Amino acid sequence: MTTPAKGTKRGSSPARAEARPPRLVWLALLLVAPAVAQDTLPDDQTRLSLSLYDEGSFAAGLLVPSPWATNLLLVQPSFSWRHAQRWRLAASLAAVGSTDGDTHGQLRVREAWGGFTAGDFDFSLGKKILRWGTGYAFTPTGVLDPPRNPIDPTDRLSLNEGREMAAVDWVSGRHALTAVWASGITDTTALRYNTMIAGFDSALIFAHDRGRPDFYGANFTRVVGEALEVHGEFAHRDSNAVLLGGKYMLHSGVNTIFEWYSPETPRLGRYVFLSVGKARLRELPGWKQWDISLGLVTNTTDRSRILVLDVTRRVADHFSLTTHAQTPGGKRWRSEYGMIPYSALVSIGFRYQI
Amino acid sequence: MIRIAFPILLLAAAASAAGPDPDALIKQFDSLRNGWDSYVVRVSIRNYEEGKEDEEHAFEVYQKGTEKSYVEFLSPREKGQHLLMLGDDMWIYLPDTSRPIRITPLERLSGNASNGDVARTHYATDYTSVFVRTEMVEGVNCHLLELTARRKGSTYRRILLWLRASDARPVKADFFVASGKQLKSATYDRYQEVDGQLLLRRMTIYDHVRKGSHSVIEYLQFTERSLPDRMFHQGRSERF
Repeated sequence: MTTPAKGTKRGSSPARAEARPPRLVWLALLLVAPAVAQDTLPDDQTRLSLSLYDEGSFAAGLLVPSPWATNLLLVQPSFSWRHAQRWRLAASLAAVGSTDGDTHGQLRVREAWGGFTAGDFDFSLGKKILRWGTGYAFTPTGVLDPPRNPIDPTDRLSLNEGREMAAVDWVSGRHALTAVWASGITDTTALRYNTMIAGFDSALIFAHDRGRPDFYGANFTRVVGEALEVHGEFAHRDSNAVLLGGKYMLHSGVNTIFEWYSPETPRLGRYVFLSVGKARLRELPGWKQWDISLGLVTNTTDRSRILVLDVTRRVADHFSLTTHAQTPGGKRWRSEYGMIPYSALVSIGFRYQI
Repeated sequence: MIRIAFPILLLAAAASAAGPDPDALIKQFDSLRNGWDSYVVRVSIRNYEEGKEDEEHAFEVYQKGTEKSYVEFLSPREKGQHLLMLGDDMWIYLPDTSRPIRITPLERLSGNASNGDVARTHYATDYTSVFVRTEMVEGVNCHLLELTARRKGSTYRRILLWLRASDARPVKADFFVASGKQLKSATYDRYQEVDGQLLLRRMTIYDHVRKGSHSVIEYLQFTERSLPDRMFHQGRSERF
């Protein structure tokens, strides 16, 4: 659900209206205050967080008339409450202000749901983000997942939204069964069975979307030795989609992720994803607070590609600076990544979190 | 009489030469960090570089038995992340997502105090122990034990652990990875009594890769709590 921010006018700062903590936050602070003085942890537990983020983006080599510089302001509060492992409430919002010549504002409800547990069953109702796929950049079995973008697989701005749903989990021993009814462009009824078999974290998924063929899928992850993780997904609706991938970590802490993806319509493209990164460059004096990753997404059918660089510098406990850069390549206007209307984009952001 | 007494004396002398039972000592050591079969503890980690504090992390650790632990990250930058450890298998949950990402044993070693230091505290399950010798450490008579990983999920390949001879309280430890390189060392600094249980309150971990870097781990608010098994299932959609 996406709704415009109340009281936001064109040209005004949309974040200002949302920056004031909602009543719910004050109520939650009152709930959590008595817990601070206790020696043991209380049954009622509350979590609050707030992220403020501002990012400027600059494009080079623009091929269409559009602003070369844009700005994005995000205010993202989230709240969750739990009582005695039985009752749960959670909400996560994003107030988005974007300036690209004009200024626009939006209030997005990323999640807002409640749940309770009875016996072996967990029930939840509301808008919720579910991820059933095991893929990193692609996820053919993620029938209820937010759309995965291989250029931004981690959703670095935390703008993904859940779907409105009623869900029930049954967990017993090694087995977990989840049934979901979710509304959307088409209503979805989905079922997932998850278990561990010989070290394989594996799942079988079935989904029925009104007016579409039924969906069948399976996925797994497996750790081999100390440093290698492999994963795969298979999905069938109109035709087959296959994902195979792995993650390998070197002793130096450098993490490499590889994925090969053949979607249901492979004539439009098969993909290879490669990412090399390291969180915390601890071995270099003065670089402990830096994270760096370099990713490459290639459409092997039309041979277009995009190179993505992400650098993060943490400053003290609450601040961080981020740089995201991407440069596409391929036959101009005749390939997937050749359709991107610039030759390079650099985004520089500043985040404050409490 | 002499025929009976002589073999008994010989056996007693041999047992004394072999030293104390290392398995019993390790179980005693584990009980200083795991007061109950099922409990929750708040853990605070402060990292120091060249004597100056540069980062603080907070976690809530849910532990059940020796195989199940669930860690909630509470510090501002990591809020919303969770770590699940089931025996040798580990998953990390990113904020606002219910699907865990499988992680490899090597990924638990990042940072001065690693995920394994926080979530993996049953050494009797993870390591085989051998008594090496008795020696003095800073004027304290200690038993030196050598611990060797017995499973893939163990955080370190080898640990040298010095326990005070009088009561088996840990004094210091050296941690080694598969290559044989020493990664960290630790001192065990302070204890507390909670509901009649003596529990570790504070330990310090020294980084041997980055000299001058150390972390102080504090265990706060130990709470015995009956935790349901389903809380530790990787396929469960519900997260805090």
